[in-house]
Amino acid sequence: MSTVLEALRMVAAPDVVLAILLSSIYGLVVGCLPGLSATMATALLVPVTFYLSPIAAIATIISASAMAIFSGDIPGTLLRIPGTPASAAYTDEAYAMTRKGRPELALGICLWFSAIGGIAGTISLVAMAPLLAEIAFSFSTYEYFWLGIMGLMCATLVARSSPVKAIASMLLGLLISCVGMENPGGVPRFTFGLTDLLGGIEAVPALVGAFAVSEVMRALLQPEPPKLAHRRFGSILAGQIALTKQYWKQMTRGNVIGIIIGVLPGAGADMAAWVSYAMAKKFSKEPQKFGTGHPEGLVEAGASNNASLASGWVPSLLFGIPGDTITAIAIGVLYMKGLNPGPTLFTERASSMYALYIIFLIANIIMIPLGIMMIRGTSHVMRAPRAAIMPVVLVCAAVGSFATGNNLSAVLIVAAFGIIGYVLEANGYPVAGMVLGIVMGSMVEQSFVTSLIKSDGSILPFFDRPVSAILAAMTFAALLWPVAIWLWGRPKAAKRAQPA
Amino acid sequence: MLLSDRVTGGAVAALGAAAAYVGAQLPPVPGQEVGPAAFPTLIGLLLILCGGLIAFGVGRSFEDEAEAAVEESEVAHGAPHAAPPTPLRSLKAALPPALLLFYVLAVDRLGFVPTTFLMIVAMVFAFGGRWRLALALGTIGPVAVHLVFYKLLRVPLPAGLLPMPWS
Amino acid sequence: MTKLNRRAILASAAGALAAPHLALAQATYPNRPISMLCPWGAGGGTDATVRIVAQLLERELGQPVNVINRTGGSGVVGHAAIAAAAPDGYTLGILTVEISMMHWQGLTELTPRSYTPLALVNEDPPGIQVKADAPYKTLKDLADTIKKSPPGRLKASGTGQGGIWHLALIGWLQSMGLAPNHVAWVPSNGAAPAMQDLAAGGLDIVPCSVPEARAMIEAKRARSLAIMAEKRNPQFPDVPTVGEELGQVYAAGAWRGIAGPRNLPEDVAAKLRAALKKVYDSAGYKEFMNNRGFGMKWADGADFAAFMDDGDKKMGTAMKAAGLAKS
Repeated sequence: MSTVLEALRMVAAPDVVLAILLSSIYGLVVGCLPGLSATMATALLVPVTFYLSPIAAIATIISASAMAIFSGDIPGTLLRIPGTPASAAYTDEAYAMTRKGRPELALGICLWFSAIGGIAGTISLVAMAPLLAEIAFSFSTYEYFWLGIMGLMCATLVARSSPVKAIASMLLGLLISCVGMENPGGVPRFTFGLTDLLGGIEAVPALVGAFAVSEVMRALLQPEPPKLAHRRFGSILAGQIALTKQYWKQMTRGNVIGIIIGVLPGAGADMAAWVSYAMAKKFSKEPQKFGTGHPEGLVEAGASNNASLASGWVPSLLFGIPGDTITAIAIGVLYMKGLNPGPTLFTERASSMYALYIIFLIANIIMIPLGIMMIRGTSHVMRAPRAAIMPVVLVCAAVGSFATGNNLSAVLIVAAFGIIGYVLEANGYPVAGMVLGIVMGSMVEQSFVTSLIKSDGSILPFFDRPVSAILAAMTFAALLWPVAIWLWGRPKAAKRAQPA
Repeated sequence: MLLSDRVTGGAVAALGAAAAYVGAQLPPVPGQEVGPAAFPTLIGLLLILCGGLIAFGVGRSFEDEAEAAVEESEVAHGAPHAAPPTPLRSLKAALPPALLLFYVLAVDRLGFVPTTFLMIVAMVFAFGGRWRLALALGTIGPVAVHLVFYKLLRVPLPAGLLPMPWS
Repeated sequence: MTKLNRRAILASAAGALAAPHLALAQATYPNRPISMLCPWGAGGGTDATVRIVAQLLERELGQPVNVINRTGGSGVVGHAAIAAAAPDGYTLGILTVEISMMHWQGLTELTPRSYTPLALVNEDPPGIQVKADAPYKTLKDLADTIKKSPPGRLKASGTGQGGIWHLALIGWLQSMGLAPNHVAWVPSNGAAPAMQDLAAGGLDIVPCSVPEARAMIEAKRARSLAIMAEKRNPQFPDVPTVGEELGQVYAAGAWRGIAGPRNLPEDVAAKLRAALKKVYDSAGYKEFMNNRGFGMKWADGADFAAFMDDGDKKMGTAMKAAGLAKS
């Protein structure tokens, strides 16, 4: 008990309180600027943490990243420009809600269920860290391979478009992930002799280009949409409690899936939202409403997204193995501040550990009031003319992509993906599928090749390990199910098309 | 740039063929049975398959349904139906990527603030905004972004012709 | 080396007497902020090292030293930016072991000789990690098992194909008279996922540095049998060296050092070397490196150049043997 009190005392220190507050605001602001990602927000904090006390330093990373992940949903909802690869999964849904004139509802869902997800994830971190670590250790490359394949299959479920085109976009994303020498062979592929392509094409500049820049391009060709009627919205939270009651099952499932996927290093938050959104659609009673501004998928994906963010800290804190790019940066800060990850952090420095837990909870709780202020503030954007918004979006895209690596070639990648995204979207190829392919590509290839090396070329371990067998069965079931549905539904669709 | 499914399907298949061809040329790596060639080749082949299916219109019915649903909700909320742009007008869409290219080429010489000023002014006009908005946004935007990124976040934005007082 | 330094300082002092206005410009170096380029991303080990060096160097030189992460191209972009900077002492950078590897693969023209070496500040020798409940208790057990097992049976990982820990393994195998691929290499995205897979039972050996494996060792998921260095690491005194265990010394490691572009003026370089020496000897640097478990290794100027040349040759030999080099 004294360690908890000690931890509370550590968190209550003025510099820590100030750090939480300022970095929360920073995370919210940077996250909501289109073209600036949560990863970038976190990376840019590293030099600042150098001058802070250990607890304050790690508090800035925790609060800023949690806020930026939620805040990334704001441009996604209002402008169809997602802030993270994870939020690309449900951007179209949230944006459809905005087009129906209910942006506050969409953002309210993102906020409320993000906070709940974050708190659920934190509780899992406190209560079950060692247990969750065991899950992580039952995953070898064979299991990761199946996980990657299942993640890729979400591409067809997430987009409302021809499944063939969704798969084509996803394959395009996989092809893009082949660029560079960060592949199992360590061989430069598709680099055309360009040094800048050796490291491959990162997901974030591709995301910014394919969504933000292509959105600006589309806007140039479309007439200004009519202004939304100026109306004062009631309590943002009131509706959420009703939704929580209505969709508590989806919320819980989202939390659980988020926590499990989050603890798997390398899969992380990017995948959790996709899988959860796809699950919500698959098991929904009204799947036809998905993509038209239906809250169900948003609830599950939002709940999953932030839950995975918190549980992603389990392997990071216990073993120094990062779950995603954000925790990779956080581990660096932990080391820099002498809070070396590992079991000793839990035993010798238990009070620091509890302090981290408390900061997690605080960050997810203050996310609600700060987030509401943010929603109220940013919804004015909808009333500003496009001539004022779009130029800023473009500049943000340039600065944001440059800032992570101070490399101008990232800006070129943004421009190229703007064109790619525009062409794909105009012809009915869902861009989100491509982003999923880019995010998952290297994991799928890496796990496949390394598995074969480890098994001396045998594919048996892909099926005979207990966890991989379950995942393989799930994959094949999910793979064959839509084909069966499609074959069965085809005559009906043809009949319906005839009279038209 | 709305193209027929035949054209885009063909393009997807062609891209797949190119990827499979180039991918298959990659040298094997000692000690790896499945070398760096396998994955791109497989993706290339799958892209050819997908491209073929698209060109022959498989899966088209889903798209029509989706479009109908979205349009329905848009019409219900009074969104204007965008007329398909003429080829000449659709060239306008090339402006944002062109401005990003301009940023890459010019930022080291002109500096961050002048470059982004020009970008913003061009964009405001492209959206039919007025001079006053262009000047106000073009002046305040870059300076504010520079202040935050250069001063607070220590991103080395080039000063160029117009150094800011804090740089 | 110190002799050379002293001579350089004397020479510049003599020059200063001869040309007073020139001396003024030189004596006041540095008179504006210095940029320190880091070819790797924020939050990593190289980033942390360069940041602590920059912070302490700032105190020595009395001018701000700003760290800039210039990432991309698997480190090539940042290394190229350091080499291409104006040789005026206002743009420096941190070099990593990759500079002595990438040119063998034909990825860049840059070699260690493309720079003015200033100071080697860190070296982390590879350790030899096995699973906590592995049957081999000592390095000798492991070496015997390796020799007895058919080629390719045992698997090792820790970095990508042709990465530094892969080359360390190849070097060690060759020093035992075995083929470079006697232990199969499983490429991974760095040491952390490899350590996880080691604990999950997918691998036999992870030859990454001990600090990278530290958390897993402390969690009793892995053990470190030896390090490939000449001396034990005072941070991990229980881990013997390969030489102690097997009688034959094999040493190679990942290192980091500060350098500037080629043709840095000798007086500027001398001033920087002196300042970096003070940084290296400071309590702040020692505390930081010990805390992270990073190995401290010092070499300045010509010694650093010789160190890099030697490493470059070793890397070339190992890479050619493994068929990883281009020519």
